[in-house]
Amino acid sequence: MDPILLAALTATLTPLAAFGAIVLATRRRPGLSAGLAIGAVALALAGALFLLARLWGLEMSVTYTTRWMASGSLEIVCGFLLDPLSVLMLTVVTAVCLLVQVYSLGYMAGDPGFARYYAFMSLFAWAMASLTVAPTLLQLYVFWELVGVSSYLLIGFWYAKFSASQAGKKAFVMTRLGDVAFFLGLLLVLTHLGHVEITRLNAGAAAGLSGHRLTVAALLIFGGIVGKSAQFPLLTWLPDAMEGPTPVSALLHSATMVAAGVYLLARLLPFFSLAPTALTVILAVGTLSMLLASTMALVSRDIKQVWAFSTISQLGFMLMGLAAGGYVAGVFHLTTHAGFKALLFLCSGVLIHHHGTNDIVDLSRRGARRQTLAVACLAVAAAALAGLPPLSGFFSKELLLAALAAHPNPVWLAAGLLGAFLTAYYAFRLIFLLLAPPAGGMEDAPAPHHDAPPGVRGAMAAPLVVLAGVTLLLGWAEKPLARFLAAGGGLTPTAAGHHAWLPFTAVGLAVAGVALAWWEFGRRQAPRVGFAERWPALGELFAQRWYLDHLYRLALGALVDHGAAHLCAQGDRRVIDPTVDGLAAGTVAGGRRLAVWHAGRFQARLLALFLVVAALAVTVFF
Amino acid sequence: MNLYAVAFYLLAAVILGATLMAVTRRHLVHAVLYLIVSFFGSALLFYLFGAPLLAALEVIIYAGAVMILFLFIVMMLRVGADQGPLFPPRQILPAIAMAAVYLAVASLLAVRDTGTGGVLQTALADPRAFGDYLFRNAWLAVEIVSLLLLVALVGALVLGGRTPAADTPEGPGAPREVRP
Amino acid sequence: MIVPFGHVLLLAGLLFVLGMVCVVARRNLIMILLGVEIMLNAAAIALVGASLRWQAMEGQVLVLFILAVAAAEVSVGLALIVNAHRRSGRLDPNAFHRLG
Repeated sequence: MDPILLAALTATLTPLAAFGAIVLATRRRPGLSAGLAIGAVALALAGALFLLARLWGLEMSVTYTTRWMASGSLEIVCGFLLDPLSVLMLTVVTAVCLLVQVYSLGYMAGDPGFARYYAFMSLFAWAMASLTVAPTLLQLYVFWELVGVSSYLLIGFWYAKFSASQAGKKAFVMTRLGDVAFFLGLLLVLTHLGHVEITRLNAGAAAGLSGHRLTVAALLIFGGIVGKSAQFPLLTWLPDAMEGPTPVSALLHSATMVAAGVYLLARLLPFFSLAPTALTVILAVGTLSMLLASTMALVSRDIKQVWAFSTISQLGFMLMGLAAGGYVAGVFHLTTHAGFKALLFLCSGVLIHHHGTNDIVDLSRRGARRQTLAVACLAVAAAALAGLPPLSGFFSKELLLAALAAHPNPVWLAAGLLGAFLTAYYAFRLIFLLLAPPAGGMEDAPAPHHDAPPGVRGAMAAPLVVLAGVTLLLGWAEKPLARFLAAGGGLTPTAAGHHAWLPFTAVGLAVAGVALAWWEFGRRQAPRVGFAERWPALGELFAQRWYLDHLYRLALGALVDHGAAHLCAQGDRRVIDPTVDGLAAGTVAGGRRLAVWHAGRFQARLLALFLVVAALAVTVFF
Repeated sequence: MNLYAVAFYLLAAVILGATLMAVTRRHLVHAVLYLIVSFFGSALLFYLFGAPLLAALEVIIYAGAVMILFLFIVMMLRVGADQGPLFPPRQILPAIAMAAVYLAVASLLAVRDTGTGGVLQTALADPRAFGDYLFRNAWLAVEIVSLLLLVALVGALVLGGRTPAADTPEGPGAPREVRP
Repeated sequence: MIVPFGHVLLLAGLLFVLGMVCVVARRNLIMILLGVEIMLNAAAIALVGASLRWQAMEGQVLVLFILAVAAAEVSVGLALIVNAHRRSGRLDPNAFHRLG
């Protein structure tokens, strides 16, 4: 067998095998289950790394397909599409999955659902890894939904907790909303082009669609991205999604669930670029999401929520960059973001796990600064998020800003720079809040949540160190990665004019953000009140997430409860109930009539038998 | 009309009369006894028709074994006289209508068919010849019938042996016979 | 020279009809079984007559088998009746028109 195909199969199917084995066999043995899951994902990572190495040398894409279904002239294939983008993403996904699963050994230790957790994790890893290498939109859609399902399972992992199951439901339903649009777009493409193969769509086959249809299809597919990546109208599920265990959030926010949306845009970028209107919409949505989420992050006191908002804003940023034509920039930022966002969540997980609270001020009061390793890694990751050199975030952000600068409309660049400033501000607001000793003094006995054995602590610390290393070093891989991506992407990078002033401006703004955060939170006599909170109305607006949830609830109430539900109830009561009741009553009555014939009155039956014999005699002999 | 014909009509009258009486009796014992008379008539008819072995078998099996079995069951179940109307109109009216249809069809068939006109000649089927013929030409059917009788035996045993738990003669505390 | 064959058939037919009426119209399980016996006997008479009419042995052989079948039928039928009577204490066929 072809080693590349074998590696691809390994990289995608081993987590599924682990999932099956855990569910079927080892559910009752948590240790073995965790070992299976981690072994499987490590194998998958090995396969992905092998693919990366091979493709790095080949500088081309490899496709394996076989017929999946055929109907008339329509034929849909399944298989693997291995090009630089998919293999890079596959590596990122499996690597983050591996690190998070190792980390979970410590974080989830002693949880009654330990084996179940690893089963879901394996399912998640399988779905996401298979999504990245799907050669057709249909296959991608299948795994897209599987990612949704497994994230639903993981967000609602502690299903006994009401808010967790609610959050799982919310995530599932809101992403479904986008998925319906995605599916409609997929069907539109399928009915008008007769195929949904990604490479052919990207190679210009989409030109067979008329302009309007193309725009509509692109926008519908983008609807799926909006849902999955929690962009503007559908962004409220992500902050709630942290009801799940923190490692799940780390996975969800960095490389899997939400990254799938951005990945899809990058995957289909040539297709999207045939529809300029759609690109403009994407730019607008990305910008709006970025700014909204950044402002929400300004005032949140929940450590995980801050990172959740930052995820939304960073994803919006990536969408902006991709829509502006910065293919390499978007994908690179996706990669680096996966690293430092996972690090942010895992570090926060250490603090939350140790102190048993999500609240930043509480964490600070309970002495979170004593967790040296976690806080140091957190600071590194936050600096990367803020875009400070020489961390990975700086390089990717700079690329994104360059892509935006190349866009003729300067509004987007301005928004991007504003976003960079806000990002630096809220990231370091959190860091300074954690580090600075609170006004009320520290609690004497920082009652640890529970004492973790050294093995557990090691399992949680190792991924932090690895991710911090990646965050420190990945930025230097910018040039080779860009070449690698451009080689197989089939997309010529936009000739971005070199703006010598841009990096300095970006860094300057980031430093300004950090300085503002220090002025307000870090220094000794700091007021510890953010500028947004000075104006209560503004702070309230941000804290209530721009009242989006209220708006949705109102809209749902008006539209669903009083509109559709009322209508349905009336229809149910007036039309369906009588019909069904009538049918049932008719059936029962008819059954009673027929039952008379069917009852065991065998003398009547014998009579009928004799009658038939007589009739037979008449017909045969006369 | 010779003696044979007289004997036939006499026997026919006895058979029909006894059967009619059997069908219309309220008491089952009476019905069975009348039917035994009818079967004796049938046996004599067989003898008249030159089948002495069958006549003997008719007496032994039908009038003897089968009817005595009926009698035995009637006594065992202590069946009294039937209550209520003997023939409910809902059942007897269709039955009579169909009987008329049957007789009409049968007589029409008998009239149309030329074979019915032939007059029966006396003859005798020697039991030895009968047995010879039976085991020479129909041995397979004999075997099959033996199997059928075996199955009937087993079936009757199974059906009769199973006692519903509700009305066992012993009280609830008495040890019960457990059947596999 | 006995009688025309048609008369034998008429006797058999009348007997059969009597048995049939008994089977269809009597409200007693044992009487139904008796009716069946009457019908079988009618068939036996017709067969013996036909055997004589055509001077062939097959008719009589068939009667022998009818005897065997009647014996088997009676034994199983009576066992069923006894079983049913033990369950419900009744012999009215209309009492058994329900399953279970």
